[in-house]
Amino acid sequence: MNDLVVEMRQITKAFPGVVALDNVDFDCLRGEVHAVVGENGAGKSTLMKILSGVYEPDSGEIRLEGKTVRISSPYVAQQLGISIIYQELNLLPDLNVAENVFLGREPRNYFGFLDVRSLEKQAQGVLRRLGLDIDPRTPLRRLTVAQQQMVEIARALSLNSKIVIMDEPSASLGGQDLERLFEVIAALKKQGVTVIYISHRLAEIFEVADRVTVFKDGKVVHTSPICEIDRPTLVRLMIGRAFSETFPPRGKDFGEVVLSVRNLTSGNVLQDVSLELRRGEIVGVAGLTGSGRTELARCIFGARKIDSGVIQINGRVAQIKSPRDALKYNIGFLTEDRNEEGLVLGLSVRHNAALPSLHQRQRWGIVDLAAEYRTVQSKARDLNIRTPSLNQNVEFLSGGNRQKVVLAKWLITNPDLLIFDEPTRGIDVGAKSEIWYLMRDLAQQGKAILMISSELPEIIGMSDRIIVFHRGRVVGELAGADATEEKVMMLATYGE
Amino acid sequence: MTNEAARFSSRSFQRFVDENREQLTIYGILLIITVIGTVLSSQFRTSTNFFNVLRQAVALGMVSIGQTFVILSGGIDLSVGAAISLVAVYTANLMKAYPAMTLPIVALMLLLGLAIGLFNGTLITRLKIAPFIATMATGSILQGLVLLNGKRPSGKIAPGWNYFAEGMVGPVPFPVIVFAVLILLAIFVIHRTVLGRYIIATGGSERIARYSAIRTNLVLNAAYIICSLGAVLTGLFITSRMGIGDPQVGGLSYDRFDLDSITAVLVGGTRLGGGKGTVIGTIAGVLIVAVLNNIFNLVGVNTFYQWIVKGIIILLAVAAYSSRKTAE
Repeated sequence: MNDLVVEMRQITKAFPGVVALDNVDFDCLRGEVHAVVGENGAGKSTLMKILSGVYEPDSGEIRLEGKTVRISSPYVAQQLGISIIYQELNLLPDLNVAENVFLGREPRNYFGFLDVRSLEKQAQGVLRRLGLDIDPRTPLRRLTVAQQQMVEIARALSLNSKIVIMDEPSASLGGQDLERLFEVIAALKKQGVTVIYISHRLAEIFEVADRVTVFKDGKVVHTSPICEIDRPTLVRLMIGRAFSETFPPRGKDFGEVVLSVRNLTSGNVLQDVSLELRRGEIVGVAGLTGSGRTELARCIFGARKIDSGVIQINGRVAQIKSPRDALKYNIGFLTEDRNEEGLVLGLSVRHNAALPSLHQRQRWGIVDLAAEYRTVQSKARDLNIRTPSLNQNVEFLSGGNRQKVVLAKWLITNPDLLIFDEPTRGIDVGAKSEIWYLMRDLAQQGKAILMISSELPEIIGMSDRIIVFHRGRVVGELAGADATEEKVMMLATYGE
Repeated sequence: MTNEAARFSSRSFQRFVDENREQLTIYGILLIITVIGTVLSSQFRTSTNFFNVLRQAVALGMVSIGQTFVILSGGIDLSVGAAISLVAVYTANLMKAYPAMTLPIVALMLLLGLAIGLFNGTLITRLKIAPFIATMATGSILQGLVLLNGKRPSGKIAPGWNYFAEGMVGPVPFPVIVFAVLILLAIFVIHRTVLGRYIIATGGSERIARYSAIRTNLVLNAAYIICSLGAVLTGLFITSRMGIGDPQVGGLSYDRFDLDSITAVLVGGTRLGGGKGTVIGTIAGVLIVAVLNNIFNLVGVNTFYQWIVKGIIILLAVAAYSSRKTAE
């Protein structure tokens, strides 16, 4: 019998403007835990989406247990015994555990009614196979996130899945929960289930995986048993790339401290965070998704509650309870998700750009349109926003131009501190570089810039200083000039 | 030269059509309905009837302008019908008791509108009750208060107060002039004032508005206050026209001002959910409803057919807008 459960041969998948997967070979053995690593956009998610039926490949062949298959939809994937567990859980919080495990496949009795007893018994059985001690009648919302994840795994097992794909399962788990997850994975293995484990946390991979495959720029660059590779090699394989992006020169001669954060704690996502930011300086905040980077920005901007700690702006203690307060302290925030949090889609460039500063150009509540045109026009020119007119609906602008409109919106308020969360996400390469030069210009004009980014080249290329987050704490600080992707990645993944 | 000028003007005409396609469509529909009315009824095309339709449009129009503000802000106000009844009954009864106090009574009604709007706004912004539920409950409370006062029409308006509905300035009815001024005022508020911008931004995305340092709670309160004031004006107008306070005039009779005003706003192209819409569109919606009512009355169609037709219109309008959105 062939022990290869999954064979993917010469898989290619292109999206408009980018080849996401280029002739990729990937396979899995029965009952192994196969770790898949790579940076954002390296292609690992695309491959998993192909395997789980979300996308179809442009070319290539997929074989399951030796038989060629076509996985045309997630439903087909499920029928073939492939389950995927996403980072965001897909469960119904108001149903109980058993109902969630068997959602859509509830056992019926003779009359076609729901057979509750059999439902609970079967659920109990599945939970026991995973070694889980959860009452199947517990409403899902009473469970912790970690337990809910176990329920999702139980669901996959109840579907008789032969392959379970876990996409960053540990992102929201800590210590003990992580141990539970590993136990459950061990239980799955024992039953001959193949687990494909996607994670950024390298330490875990060495603990849980049998084999590892490394993706980079749409290609597989390495596959081997985990014991044949060490951590630094793995990191190097993940990030080694040809530099093609150009960054503006770094800054020098920084001014006085604009932002000072002392011992900031918020919920369990930020713990005892301290940092400083000077006029003219760009400080990069690196860390994995969920490490507290965005939450820090939200705290400073008044969009998230602070439990303890002090924020000082220009030497004064600032009580920032709302974005409105943040504006009074001359803080601007370019959010990660421009469409949900940055620009009102459906409104024009002018209306969007004028929004936070509207009160500055009015008399008796009436907008001074002439001043508005002048102000927005001049910022649009400074930032080189390409739009047919200022009355253009922002929906019709490209990602780069939208980001510039968000930037214009804050620049008009004349901020001292600008926070960029993923400043170039979803923006094409040429426009990226344009945004980077704009940011450096702003720093040279004396603004302090805090830049959160998942993209290592951006962090290293742009930052005068880099602060690395790991699980809500600052775990290290590097000078931009000395930083390498290896160093940042080491800190971000191990927290040491 | 002339050729080029002609091409230029045809291009700018094209752009005008593209940018205002929705509103041109609505006014096109209004035109078609009017033509049908003209063909069907000789009475319809008289100038007396023209002003009659306009006068009918005023009652629905004033509250619909208010409703436009609320729907633009992302909400909905189902309490306007009951508010209109309340104002009708209180105005007529107070005027009967104190015939000399016309203006103070009007001022009092406007204050009442402010209070109702503030009440709705508080339920929605402070207690976080969904606008649909909050205003429906407010409407129920108000209608109950009105009916406690008596189920029959009561009171009598002060002498001279009928001028609001029936006065003429030359050939033009006074209420039509008032309505025109209100339309201009509403357009001005939406397009030229900070408040108008804030309402549209809040309707477009409450979160983005909040992140843009806007006090969205204040903005929402203002929208509900404007809407209730619109309802008060409609209530005052109806009382002036009828001369008596009917406790069912706003929401329980055939003219359901809550639903009709929402119909007018949605037919007029304002997006349910907020962020996009115009007063001009709403006026078209109001005129469509008014002209249809007028034609039905003249031709002698059973009133209940009007309900059926209104229901179909609202479905068609919303389906047309949402299918266009998907097409984009």
